[in-house]
Amino acid sequence: MTSKITKKNYSMRSAFGKTLTRLASAHPNIYVVDIDLKDSLKLTDFAKRFKSRFIETGVSEQNAAAVAAGLALSGKTVFLTSYAAFSPSLNWGVIRQSICYNQAKVIIVGSHAGLMTDEQGATHQSLEDIALMRALPDIDVFSPADARQVKKILPTLIRGPRPAYLRLVRASAPNFTDPKSSFTIGKAQVLKRGTDLTIVGHGPILKNALLVQKDLKNISLEIINSPSIQPLDEKTILTSVKKTRHLITLEDHQVEGGLGEAIAPLLLKNPLNAKMKLLAVQDEFGQSAHDYEKLWDHYGLGIESLKTAIKELLK
Amino acid sequence: MPINLSHLKNTSLDVRADILTMINKAGSGHLAGPLSSTDLLVSLYFSNLFNFYPTDPKNPQRDRFVLSAGHLALALYSVLCRAGFFDEELLSGFSQLKSLLQGHVYHHVPGVEYSSGSLGQGLSVAAGMALADKKDRKKRFTIALTSDGEHNQGQVWEAAMFANKYSLSRLINIVDKNGIQIGGTTSQIMPLDDLASKYHEFGWQVYEINGHHFPTILRTLSYAKESKEKPVVIIANTVAAKGIPYMEANYKYHDIKDFDQEKFKKALSQLNKLSKFK
Repeated sequence: MTSKITKKNYSMRSAFGKTLTRLASAHPNIYVVDIDLKDSLKLTDFAKRFKSRFIETGVSEQNAAAVAAGLALSGKTVFLTSYAAFSPSLNWGVIRQSICYNQAKVIIVGSHAGLMTDEQGATHQSLEDIALMRALPDIDVFSPADARQVKKILPTLIRGPRPAYLRLVRASAPNFTDPKSSFTIGKAQVLKRGTDLTIVGHGPILKNALLVQKDLKNISLEIINSPSIQPLDEKTILTSVKKTRHLITLEDHQVEGGLGEAIAPLLLKNPLNAKMKLLAVQDEFGQSAHDYEKLWDHYGLGIESLKTAIKELLK
Repeated sequence: MPINLSHLKNTSLDVRADILTMINKAGSGHLAGPLSSTDLLVSLYFSNLFNFYPTDPKNPQRDRFVLSAGHLALALYSVLCRAGFFDEELLSGFSQLKSLLQGHVYHHVPGVEYSSGSLGQGLSVAAGMALADKKDRKKRFTIALTSDGEHNQGQVWEAAMFANKYSLSRLINIVDKNGIQIGGTTSQIMPLDDLASKYHEFGWQVYEINGHHFPTILRTLSYAKESKEKPVVIIANTVAAKGIPYMEANYKYHDIKDFDQEKFKKALSQLNKLSKFK
């Protein structure tokens, strides 16, 4: 049951914009509160077709988050769309009070997360969004692995009762999740079964784990996609680590507050005599580059770094 | 139904006494703001200008009130209680462990629409609510209460632009302009200068009034409800800690941490004196 990596690249942002526009026909309560990034979030069509439900706040992340809360408290299903580097960060305190504490069902969509932002550099590379959102009560946190998964997540978020954060990336990347799998809040998916070492990750970078397996013929990797970071699928992860006793977490995010740090306490609570390594950005800012693979390599998240980490952990 | 002005005055005195009593019982609480905004809140809930349903707080026909300055909770709790939303018993538990009455206003309390405390957010939330009503062609009103100190926050001005853009004529922002904030007078901490002109420039319908004169408050609220295009701001000039002469207009009574029996009695007796000369 190994997932196949497509040769073609697909845009998460297009998948988001198109799927939301399609769903909006059947769901008259869907609203978008946009922070002047509609083209970037691929919502131009939504804005044209559902003019009355497309609310443009201009570059005002705090006002936008609270306006979204006001709409949600009036029964609307609201998507608050921007770059992750601005929302949720400039407006974190507003998300905390007006959305989470007040139980306003707003879905915060943060695009351009991680290092995959092309020339834009550190100001636009959100490497802290998951940490910011994980720290809050009463919100779910999702980081889909590919465009295919983005399409499946949206109907679930619309149905769900709680606020949510949805992480998207800028660059197009291959699809590699199972086309037949469904998306369930709190569930991880095993992309490949194995016995020696577990890799758990989220986002497009998880593709590297599948590629590494092809180079390491003598090592059997179990690869788990964990798009639901809060709530976390503890059972699937622990069952795997119990078997392999070796765990690497892989994510395009700061090590602080990311998926790795969400999983590490599970190993303290459930002593499995397992070794663990967290592959993530190590407390530094990103930078510009036109090839995200090069950025991943530079920050120790690329294929070679992953191979080294696997070999070291299994020594 | 004609509004009985002496009933409003007496209710305000009762609310102020409630505020003092709750702070005395809890040992600490916010004082100056709840006392300065009391007459505004009483005008809303004890006139026929604001539509609410004490036994059915979530009735879809209700007007909505958003307390943006969450530290004015004590005044709102007392007003809601006296308007029939919940029993007096609840007031006595203010800010105690497991009490619904949190130190800053809390949306699980019957009649409270929105929890706040972190300043500057409520006007945007109220704008979002008013926009939802406009989209749904509902004729009800959303009324926010903000403080003058809160206008330090840039977000308030983001909301002001937004409400103008979307012509939220059924949004009313009442500013409790009591001239103080936690660390000093507003003119010392961050001067607002001509607040009325600022709102005017932001495209709002502006009224500036004496926030303790009931006939003026009521008249202005009814004017505000007639706006056809512009959002409305009522800048209510008030006195911090109104009703307790020895505390009035002094920023040091923004909040109080050692409200012992002696101070409580002194404050209450000054309030009672006011009561006699009403």
